Amino acid sequence: MPQQIKRLIVAFAFFILLFLVLRQVLKPSSFGDLGHYRADAIQENIDSELHYAGIDNCSKCHEDIHMDKAIGFHANLNCEVCHGPGMKHVLYAGNFTDRQLPDSLLLYKPVGRSDCAVCHQVNAARIKILFDTIDNSMIRQIDAMTHNPVNKRTNEKLNCIDCHNPHQP
Amino acid sequence: MEQHIQNLYEVLSQVEGFVYPNEIELNWSILIVLYPFITGLVAGAFILASLERIFKVRILKPTYGIALLTALSFMLVATMPLISHLGKPFRAYEIMITPHLSSAMAIFGFVYLWYLMVVLLLEIWFDYRRDMILWANESKGVKRFLYRALSLWTTDISPKAIALDNKIGYIVTVIGVPSAFLLHGYVGFIFGSIKANPWWSTVLMPIIFLFSAIVSGIALVMLIYIIVSKVRKVKLNMACLDMIAMYLFYILLIDFVLEGLDQIHRIYEAEESFEVLHKLVFGKLFFTLFIMQGLLGTIVPLITLGIFQFYKPKENIRKVIYLIVPVLILIGVFFMRWNVVIGGQLFSKSFYGYTSFKIGLIGPEGYLMAAFWLIVPLLILAFLLWLLPPWKKKDEQSEIQSA
Repeated sequence: MPQQIKRLIVAFAFFILLFLVLRQVLKPSSFGDLGHYRADAIQENIDSELHYAGIDNCSKCHEDIHMDKAIGFHANLNCEVCHGPGMKHVLYAGNFTDRQLPDSLLLYKPVGRSDCAVCHQVNAARIKILFDTIDNSMIRQIDAMTHNPVNKRTNEKLNCIDCHNPHQP
Repeated sequence: MEQHIQNLYEVLSQVEGFVYPNEIELNWSILIVLYPFITGLVAGAFILASLERIFKVRILKPTYGIALLTALSFMLVATMPLISHLGKPFRAYEIMITPHLSSAMAIFGFVYLWYLMVVLLLEIWFDYRRDMILWANESKGVKRFLYRALSLWTTDISPKAIALDNKIGYIVTVIGVPSAFLLHGYVGFIFGSIKANPWWSTVLMPIIFLFSAIVSGIALVMLIYIIVSKVRKVKLNMACLDMIAMYLFYILLIDFVLEGLDQIHRIYEAEESFEVLHKLVFGKLFFTLFIMQGLLGTIVPLITLGIFQFYKPKENIRKVIYLIVPVLILIGVFFMRWNVVIGGQLFSKSFYGYTSFKIGLIGPEGYLMAAFWLIVPLLILAFLLWLLPPWKKKDEQSEIQSA
């Protein structure tokens, strides 16, 4: 066999062997235990910090609001959709029953027009719904700019929640 | 308001119409644009080299070595945009040591390995083996050791051994051409096979990618050949450049027609996605598609190179134009990748809305990072040209004859 071919075969064999050795050394220890991935990744995901607590946790303390909401159009909406993630609030707010909650534990209060408009602003891409259609599964649309912007008697600016109870709109 | 809610509101203000939540932010950014761009340069440069070797276009000889080394230096970097996009530098090597066959993305590992180890390195090795042995005898110290090691400590440069080198090199090149097609066809396939995305999902995608790759690779080698000749202060081989320009013209023409066919097909079919794509093309992609890719990157080079096929202006004018045209073509092909990768993510798969894309100067997916991965292969190329200068190769035919 010619010299250069012999050397090439040796070189290829060396690199393939090196790859196999490196693979054994560098491969994550839990790789392949459950499939073609690092099994430890599952535990790492379980251990990652939670941000959302879920409606069941909210209703433990805010039962009255929960009951209000349960019979309105927003019954199927999770609290945290409007109020933001509340895991920290759920975990630690109980320690502050007798005093003011620190800012870091306060949840977002959506009181402005723009908050409601996130879902209710008229949008050509959303399914059209007329006001006389009563269907809980559809989101009603208004134009947040023109839908009763001011109180006609007092001329004061109006927010959506001045007329609609957000928990039972 | 909590920071992440504020961020969400800010992001929502960049959205038009209806988009699904996972479409608001573009996950594939400029680094994913670079990946098909760089891989295309490799395939294109290699195909130019094979023209000389397989089809015996002797006039291209001055660019043969440059084309091979260009292909190698860009090949070495081709995976880096992907790996840095993943953003886990300490785990990135794991994708190299856990290959598998069940994902289209993971197949790239095999395609890459085949092309780098079996095709490109072998071809260069057989091509340079004799020269490395000769250069090792002439050099001292580290350089001598480097040549020895690179030639795997072989010593046989008898005419019989050289003839064998040439024969195997030729066979490797013959295998290399379909491999280069496979390499870049594969990159097109990655996009073309995504059924859910009407901007990507077309069987023409691998072919379009391939032809634009050949165009970009040839343009890059042309540019590098001119720059290297200027640096070395040697006269440009105009016959060679004219020939490259001719190939560039015809392949660019085919590429242009293929992309046109793809669009005509799309327009005539006018599937339910047509309206959203129509607005995308004339809205958010107008500048990158019509101005950068179409006008600057395709029409201007086509007209210029087309005129050259009938009328050749003076050498000095041609020299300047041969410097400008490849740059335009490279910009055009870069924006072709941009329009595919970024464009495919700008519209909602509900076909009812658009998101927008912003890119920063710094950061892991910014312009500077992208520029870095474009500069690194040029530095590798500079090193390779210093270590294995194609112009210092001794012509074995003349030596064998003189011996």
